[in-house]
Amino acid sequence: MIIFRNKKLFVLFCITIFFFIIMSIVRPDQFLSLRNFQSMTIQIPDFGLLALAIALCMMTGGIDLSVVAISNLTGIATAWMLTNFIKPGMPGSTETLLIILCMLIGLIIAATCGAINGILITRVGITPILATLGTMGLFGGLGVIITKGMGITGLPEKFLFLGTEMVAKAPIQLYIFIAVILLVGLILNRTLFGFNLLMIGANPISARFSGINLNNVLLRVYILSGILSGIAGFIIIAKANSARSGYAASFLLPAVLVAVLGGTDPAGGFGTVTGVVLALILVQTLKSGFNILNFSSFFQNVVLGGMLLLVMIINFIGAKVAEKVSTKKLTAKTLK
Amino acid sequence: MKKVFKQNEIYVFFIFIALCILITSFNRSFFTLETLFSLLTGHAFEGILALGFFVALLSGGIDVSFAAVAITSAYIGCLLMIETGIDKVIVGLLISMVIGIIMGAINGILIGYFKLPTLIVTLGTLTFYWGALTSFLQTFVGKTIITTTMLPSSVIEFGKADIFQFTTKDGTVIGFPLSGAIFIGLAVLTWVILKYTTLGRSIKAIGGSMEAAHRSGFKITYIQVFIYSYIGFLASIAGFMHIAYFRVASPLYMIGTEIAIIAMVVIGGASITGGKGSVIGTVLGVAILTVIRTSLVLMKVPTYFQQFVIGLLIVISVTVTALREQRKARASRVLDVE
Repeated sequence: MIIFRNKKLFVLFCITIFFFIIMSIVRPDQFLSLRNFQSMTIQIPDFGLLALAIALCMMTGGIDLSVVAISNLTGIATAWMLTNFIKPGMPGSTETLLIILCMLIGLIIAATCGAINGILITRVGITPILATLGTMGLFGGLGVIITKGMGITGLPEKFLFLGTEMVAKAPIQLYIFIAVILLVGLILNRTLFGFNLLMIGANPISARFSGINLNNVLLRVYILSGILSGIAGFIIIAKANSARSGYAASFLLPAVLVAVLGGTDPAGGFGTVTGVVLALILVQTLKSGFNILNFSSFFQNVVLGGMLLLVMIINFIGAKVAEKVSTKKLTAKTLK
Repeated sequence: MKKVFKQNEIYVFFIFIALCILITSFNRSFFTLETLFSLLTGHAFEGILALGFFVALLSGGIDVSFAAVAITSAYIGCLLMIETGIDKVIVGLLISMVIGIIMGAINGILIGYFKLPTLIVTLGTLTFYWGALTSFLQTFVGKTIITTTMLPSSVIEFGKADIFQFTTKDGTVIGFPLSGAIFIGLAVLTWVILKYTTLGRSIKAIGGSMEAAHRSGFKITYIQVFIYSYIGFLASIAGFMHIAYFRVASPLYMIGTEIAIIAMVVIGGASITGGKGSVIGTVLGVAILTVIRTSLVLMKVPTYFQQFVIGLLIVISVTVTALREQRKARASRVLDVE
C-alpha cells in the first residue's frame, strides 16, 4: 500500500481518519447514517473528477483552470442536443441509441476543448496558467451564449439515471467514478504515457533529452483532463436535471485544494490517484460535517482556503527538515 | 523610429485608435470629452487593479486575490468609518490601505519566504480573505450590504468629485474626475518605481530570471513581499473607489471580475513568463478593453456575449505575445549560428 510507504499520504490518511472519528463522536446519529454516506457519495464523483483532472495537469508542472468551464460547456451542449433531438414518443431503443450518441458527441466536445488547451500550451507556447485562464472565459462564455444565460431543462428520463439511480444503496455515479479512477491509476502507474507524464513534471529538460516527445505527451494530458471534466459535466446535469452556465463555479478552488492536499506537487513530478481520493474523502467529510454542524458556507471558504495554505506550508517545512536530515546523514557517512 | 515600431505598445496603440474610429463611425456621440471622462470615472478602479496585476506578471508571478483584497479592505474601511462616525474619506482610505497592505504582505510572505507557487497561494488567500469577511459579517455584524443611505456622505462626495471643471461652448459643464486623476497618478508612480528605483528594477530582474537575480545578489524574499504588498495597496484604493463610485458596499461585489482585469493586462502585452511588458501597455490595455465593452453595449450586443469576448481577447493577445517571443528567440538563434 502506497499509503504506508509515502509519508505525506500517511499523514493525510491519519488526518482523514481523525476527522472521521471526531465527526462520528460529535454527531453519531447524523454522521454515521446511511443517508449521510449516500449524500457524501453523491457529492464526491463530479467534484472528484474535476480535482483529478487538475491533479493530472499539475503532475506535469502545469495546471488546468478551465476544467469547470469545460464540464459546463459539455453539460450544456449535451443537454441542448438531448432536448432537441429526442422527442417524446420515440421507441425505447432509438432513444437509448440517441442518448449514447449525444454523450459521445459531448465527450468529443470535451476532448476538443482539452486539445485546444494543449495546442495553446505546446504549439503556441503559452504558459498553462494564462492559456487555461483564457479558455476558461472562452468555454464558459460559449456555454452562456448557447443558453443565453438561462437554463436548459427537461432532460429525457433515461439520461437522468446517471444522476439518480441507486445500485446496491450507492449512487451509480460512484461506480462510474471508481471505474475512472482505476483507469487513470492504471494509466499513471502501468503505461509509458503515465511514466512520461511524471517525468516531464519532474524535469522537462532531461525528459526531452531522454527522447520523450514533450508536446505529444502534454497534449494528451490536457485532452485527458478535458474528457474527465466532460464526464463530470454529464453527472452534474443528470443530478440537477438541467444545465446552466453557472453550475459548479465554486468547485475550482476546492478542486485545486484536493489536488494539492492529495500530495500532488504543484511544481510537477509527483502525484498519486490514491492521494487525490484520500483528500477528496477528507474534504467531503469536512463539508458534510460543517453542514451537519450548521456552519455557513462562507465559513467553509475560510477553512478550505486556510487549509490549502497550511498544507503547503507544512509540506515546505517537511521538505526542509527532510533535506537537513539527509545532508546530516550524508556528512556523517563521509566523515566516517 | 525603427525602435519605436519594434515595441509592442505601438501596435496596441494603433489598435486602440482604430477601435475608437470604428465606434465613432457607428455612434457619433462616442468620441467626446464627456464620454471619455465618464468612462474614466467608471473604470479607473479597474485600471488600478490592472496596474497591480501587471506588477505581479512582470515579476513572473500571478495574483488572483486582488479583487478579494480590494473589497475586503475597502469594506472594512467603510464599516469602521460608519461605526466610529468619523466622516473623513482620508481616514477610511488610510484604514483600507493598511488592511490591504497587510493582506498583500501575507501573500508576499507565503510566496517569498515559503517559496510556494503564486497562483495557488493567491487562490487560497482569495478564498480565505473573502470567506473571513463574509462569515465575520454574518456572525458579528448581521448585515452584509452597506446601502447608499448608510454610507458616509464624504465617501459619496469622493466618488463624484472632480479636480477641475470647465464649461464648453454650448454651456455644459465637464469635470475631470478625481478617480481618473488617482489612476493616472498611480500609473505614473508605478512607472517611476519600475524605471527609476533599484527595487523596481529588481522586480523586472526576478521576472526575467529568478535564478540569475538570486545569483546576482537580489534578496528575492524582500522583493516579493514588496510586490504583493504594493498590489494590496493598489487594490485597497481601487476597492474604496469602487464603493464610492457605486455608492453601495457589498462583499459580493468585484469577486468574479478578475478575468476582465487579467484580460486588460495581457492585451497590453505583458507576458506571464515575466520580465516583459510596460505600464503604458497596461494602460492601453485597460483603455482597449473598456472601449470594447462599451461598444458592445452601444452596438446592442447581448451582455451574455461579454464573457466569451473577454476569454477570446485573452487567448488572442497571449497567443500574439507568445508567437512574437518565439519569433524573436528564433531570430536570435540564427544570429548565434552565424
